[in-house]
Amino acid sequence: MEIKNLDEKILQQLQAHKIKPKGRWYFLLKNYSIWFVGILALLAAGTAVSIMIYFFRYSDFGMRGEINKSWAEMLILTMPYLWILFLGIFVFVIYYNLKHTKTGYRYPIWLIITVAVSASIFLGGFFTLIGWGEELDEMLEKQTPVYGQMMNPHIAFWSNPEEGRLLGITSSPLKDNEFNLVDKDDKEWTIVTREEDEKFMIVIGQPIRLLGEKKSDTRFEVIRIMPMMPGRGFFKHMGPGRPNMSPPMMSPIPMTR
Amino acid sequence: MINNLELEKKTDEELVIIILENQSAFSCVVNRYKDKLLRYIRRISNVGLEEAEDMLQNIFIKVYLNLNEFDDGLKFSSWIYRIAHNEVIDNYRKRKVRPQLLDIDIQDSQAKELAGDTNIIEELSREELKHEVSDAINKLDLKFQEIIILKYIEEKDYQEISDIIKKPLGTVASRMNKAKAELKKVLANKNFS
Repeated sequence: MEIKNLDEKILQQLQAHKIKPKGRWYFLLKNYSIWFVGILALLAAGTAVSIMIYFFRYSDFGMRGEINKSWAEMLILTMPYLWILFLGIFVFVIYYNLKHTKTGYRYPIWLIITVAVSASIFLGGFFTLIGWGEELDEMLEKQTPVYGQMMNPHIAFWSNPEEGRLLGITSSPLKDNEFNLVDKDDKEWTIVTREEDEKFMIVIGQPIRLLGEKKSDTRFEVIRIMPMMPGRGFFKHMGPGRPNMSPPMMSPIPMTR
Repeated sequence: MINNLELEKKTDEELVIIILENQSAFSCVVNRYKDKLLRYIRRISNVGLEEAEDMLQNIFIKVYLNLNEFDDGLKFSSWIYRIAHNEVIDNYRKRKVRPQLLDIDIQDSQAKELAGDTNIIEELSREELKHEVSDAINKLDLKFQEIIILKYIEEKDYQEISDIIKKPLGTVASRMNKAKAELKKVLANKNFS
């Protein structure tokens, strides 16, 4: 089994088709592109982790007694599913790109996935420290309301007056223990507060969460008022300049975290 | 200008640098690897000689085209076998049918080594043993067949196999164990163990 003159045949082909080796730059570019996309995916995964940490920090697990939900129910209702899905996609992109680096094939899948997930968590922790996740979430909610509805489970969780949870922005000052609130569907509510509550200053147009009881279609009696953290950007796009809203002013309203 | 005799003395890695300046030096790489690669192609794909030669030409064209991709991080022989491996896989996918099986070109010592590793009772004549082992290898999945051929016929170590098939060392080792177990099963069905 020997082929004669194969070298000549091949050299003839190379010359006839003017075949030249691909430039070194081509392979360098390919290699750098793989690393570049991998690093971008890592930054995106870190951002996803940071936003998820931000959501979990304000998941109100400590209030599950008052909310009448079990730990598991709270987890299911406040889980940022779409961010988890995106994190999975970003981790896959990191894995795919690491695997396609020059020596990536030498490492087993579990090791590459572990490194990708660990790096994403580490970077997510760092982004949380510098406030990147919180800032980005607020910016996205403010600019694209549909993002808030889709990505932030807190908005749907706290928009359930039947179960004693209401979310919105204040639209009038506190007067005779009552003030108005506009919810995510632009519906105006009259909020009744308790006289014995401690008083705090609050700016009209500020997003808040209320725990209490629905008394009628437009009336809600409040037990506890808390600031809105994840999701506040969503209400900022409504802004205090809405036509049916009083001008921005300070008013004492009881508020606890 | 370096003459052929001098080129013959150069290592593969040195040749790559020379070829990038002087295309005709590529004939030295072709002559160095054509027989080994042709045997390898025929062993793992079992295609006819003509088709194997076409594949071999494609392989060398790809080697030349991608010369700048080669670096000292791995052996040149692993790199060229990797290109051959990819070509065989591509060809296999294009055809989508398992080719006609031929006798694998196997040496006595290689057949014995395989027989020893798979506990085949060595009561067979040398030719019988070679034929039965070759036949059993042909009955394996392509991925098992290839790993057995690379280890026992091409005599590559695990690191080289890992570089050729682009799988981690652990995967190579576990695939080797599975391949040997499969081979043992096939031979057992032929009442050799």
